[in-house]
Amino acid sequence: MRRDPREPLPPPVRIGAIIGFVLAITLPIAFMLLLSVTPDPEIGSGGLIPSHWAFDNYVKMWSTVNLGRGLANSLVICGISSAVAVAFAVGAAYVLSRFDFRGRFPYLYSLIALQSVPHVMLLLPLFVLFSSIQTAIPFRLIGTYQGPVITYLTFALPLATWLMVSYLSSIPVELEEAALVDGATRVQALRKVVVPLAQPGMVVALVFSFLVGWNDVLFASVLTSPDTRTLAVELQTFSAAQQGGSLPLYGQMMGASVVSALPVVILYMVFQRYLIGGLTAGGVKG
Amino acid sequence: MWPNIVVVLLIVALPFLIAVYTSFLSVDQYTLRQWVGAPWVGFENYVEALAGSNVLSVSALGSLGISVAFSVLTTLIITPIGILAALTVNTSFRGRALLRSLYLVPYVIPTFVTALLWRMMFLPNTGLLNRALSAIGLADVNTYWLVGAKSFWAMTITEVWAVWAFIYIMVLAGLQSIPIEQYEVAELDGANSWQKLTRVVLPQLRGLIYLALLLSTLFHFNNFTLPFVMFGTPPPAAVTVLPLNIYLTSFNLFDFSLGSAMSVITLIIMLVPGFFYLRMLRLGEVTSR
Repeated sequence: MRRDPREPLPPPVRIGAIIGFVLAITLPIAFMLLLSVTPDPEIGSGGLIPSHWAFDNYVKMWSTVNLGRGLANSLVICGISSAVAVAFAVGAAYVLSRFDFRGRFPYLYSLIALQSVPHVMLLLPLFVLFSSIQTAIPFRLIGTYQGPVITYLTFALPLATWLMVSYLSSIPVELEEAALVDGATRVQALRKVVVPLAQPGMVVALVFSFLVGWNDVLFASVLTSPDTRTLAVELQTFSAAQQGGSLPLYGQMMGASVVSALPVVILYMVFQRYLIGGLTAGGVKG
Repeated sequence: MWPNIVVVLLIVALPFLIAVYTSFLSVDQYTLRQWVGAPWVGFENYVEALAGSNVLSVSALGSLGISVAFSVLTTLIITPIGILAALTVNTSFRGRALLRSLYLVPYVIPTFVTALLWRMMFLPNTGLLNRALSAIGLADVNTYWLVGAKSFWAMTITEVWAVWAFIYIMVLAGLQSIPIEQYEVAELDGANSWQKLTRVVLPQLRGLIYLALLLSTLFHFNNFTLPFVMFGTPPPAAVTVLPLNIYLTSFNLFDFSLGSAMSVITLIIMLVPGFFYLRMLRLGEVTSR
């Protein structure tokens, strides 16, 4: 068989590289899975294969780490912030992609620029602002759901808007024009024609907005109280507590890590076709 | 539209002004509630940020060095890895779709999980990496990667494992857009694999790779979660990157003003690559209709 002319690597190099990549990716993950079913006292004893499979790590961790509460808090906070972000983003992106107006380009640039604002730069002022708002009016922000929700909107909104702008630009404008000729108003055209067509784009925006909060540790560790901790902070606190302990519960820690990572990995695998373009859009890896 | 503009202004411009203002005051946990009336100290915080060292024994300048070294080093290592990975799955073969999915897995695992996973990998006596290195005689199985100067390398290796797919995704997209005819012509002219790679493929990807390098440096400079979760508090001095230093100064030492001064310094430094990034973007291509 003739080789594909686009193949730039000689076969031995390519096969060697592929084996290298597969091992480098799967071995650490396999190690994580192995540790998660190793009894805690055996980690650190030197053996690699545990004496028995401690599947009860996955049962015990729900009470030692308070995973359930973290999971629920993460779902509420990230769910609200991503839904709001996408709702606003569709409207803004529609205007940005369909109308030419003064300030359109500065606005588009600012969406990109916002992706590269160092998150840590916003942390302190936001904290100072939130705490003085709390002092001035009886609206608690720190230690509640609304604080993190507002914060994640900061990053999710420009990200979602940018993703929607690039998606809506690919939808032919003729479809709405046809609707407008038939007597539909702009809002009707948006709701009945554009939104149904833009659904794959909205899924992408929703997933990435959701992950802004899910992956965040920086803001959540400052703005949440023990009752409103997200999954990430719950896990970080637990792991910090293992440092000084006499018997670190590493097995359960790895079990909890698997549970935190699995929904995200599955989400990517399911929507991979749509998500790949957004992966480089920024802010994904906090 | 308008809600968006208002939110952007409120959420970015206002905090920035607060950061600048706070950095000239002396705000701690006692004066935080009436921070507007805190004593004015001028540039004292900036002097302290650049010259003095805090309890962590790392000044802002020292942290800046660590951050720059970390982000540049990571970017330099992941670039050839990402390009190589993209080249291995450019042409179709059985199992390519599966391999492409697998390549993305480390990148999509949340950073806080990656940090915990690699903390276990580097654990003395137990960690898989230590076992592997001692098996081939490169290091002792009891090497302490998570404390002291070696922790910088532990952090960098972990970051490389987690983020190389960023370059991979961008390069793969670029590779797919090169028409097959160009390869065929090169082949007719007698080019071998290496010549095709260096004369046909890489020159066309140059702009894309520059953009990827810049973005990657920008993102890794802001890295906070990895060292924070991986090394706990207080972290070894060698991994105290600038964002981590700001966080600890503000919320462990409660010197909010010093933290603000460091934040402003960070933003000013970030303006340089940020400016080049905006220059390189050709927005017209994305949004023109």
